[in-house]
Amino acid sequence: MRDFLLHNVSPFPADETANGHGNMQIRALRDGFVFHLLGRSDTDTATVEKTIAAPIADLGGELRQLAPYQWFWVGNATLSQERVAEISAALPSMLALTDQTHGRVRLVVSGPQVRSVLAKGAMIDLADDVFAIGQSVMTQIGHIGAMITRTGDAEFEIMVLRSFAESLWHEIHQMAAEFN
Amino acid sequence: MSSLVKCPHCGLRPREEFTIRGEVPSPRPASDAPANAWFDHVYLRDNPRGEHREYWHHAGGCRRWLVLSRNTITHDISAVVDASTLKAGTKS
Repeated sequence: MRDFLLHNVSPFPADETANGHGNMQIRALRDGFVFHLLGRSDTDTATVEKTIAAPIADLGGELRQLAPYQWFWVGNATLSQERVAEISAALPSMLALTDQTHGRVRLVVSGPQVRSVLAKGAMIDLADDVFAIGQSVMTQIGHIGAMITRTGDAEFEIMVLRSFAESLWHEIHQMAAEFN
Repeated sequence: MSSLVKCPHCGLRPREEFTIRGEVPSPRPASDAPANAWFDHVYLRDNPRGEHREYWHHAGGCRRWLVLSRNTITHDISAVVDASTLKAGTKS
């Protein structure tokens, strides 16, 4: 547990409508948590899901694999640092949990043209029948490393390192501008 | 040039997501090997026309080191494996 209290401040602009868009919605997710889980080299997703089944049932969220033996556990609950320490301490030694809530931030892009917007920066196939709802990939938007998760029919969640948040926020508004 | 690389972890990805380190070098010479063997190992790199094995880092994705078997004329990629799957002693 940390010795001092962290005060999380969203890096996204406070006034979300400053760059007003009609057809495309761009929304910052200001609450929630992001945990990084690191497993041993024989750990698979099913094992991790089983291991954290109890806290996941309690806190919600989902597992997103970013690399072999590495996952993000992302949820919308607001957690105290004591609770995070509790969850971390309850994990078996094969898994290491790091709180990344302060380091990685999320935003949601949605709208009928969302694929055309993201295609300007992301180089992966976002087609409806290739990239299913719930699927997530670690990739790049322009030169910014980002995890893209499909959360709905025409809705994607993007998670980036906090220091890139403002730049990405600006970029996505630019990318979406022609559809509004 | 084929710009898609099939990462064993991430699937088809564009070349832009990768950093290329260069050829998979021959095994390290013995510590008492002659100076020219060490010079060869440390400084001299092959630049073959045809099949080549290279280390690629998937910096924009899973951040794993991969070993690509790539044809330098056609850019056809015949195999991509995670570097950790290479056993010690077979990294030639």
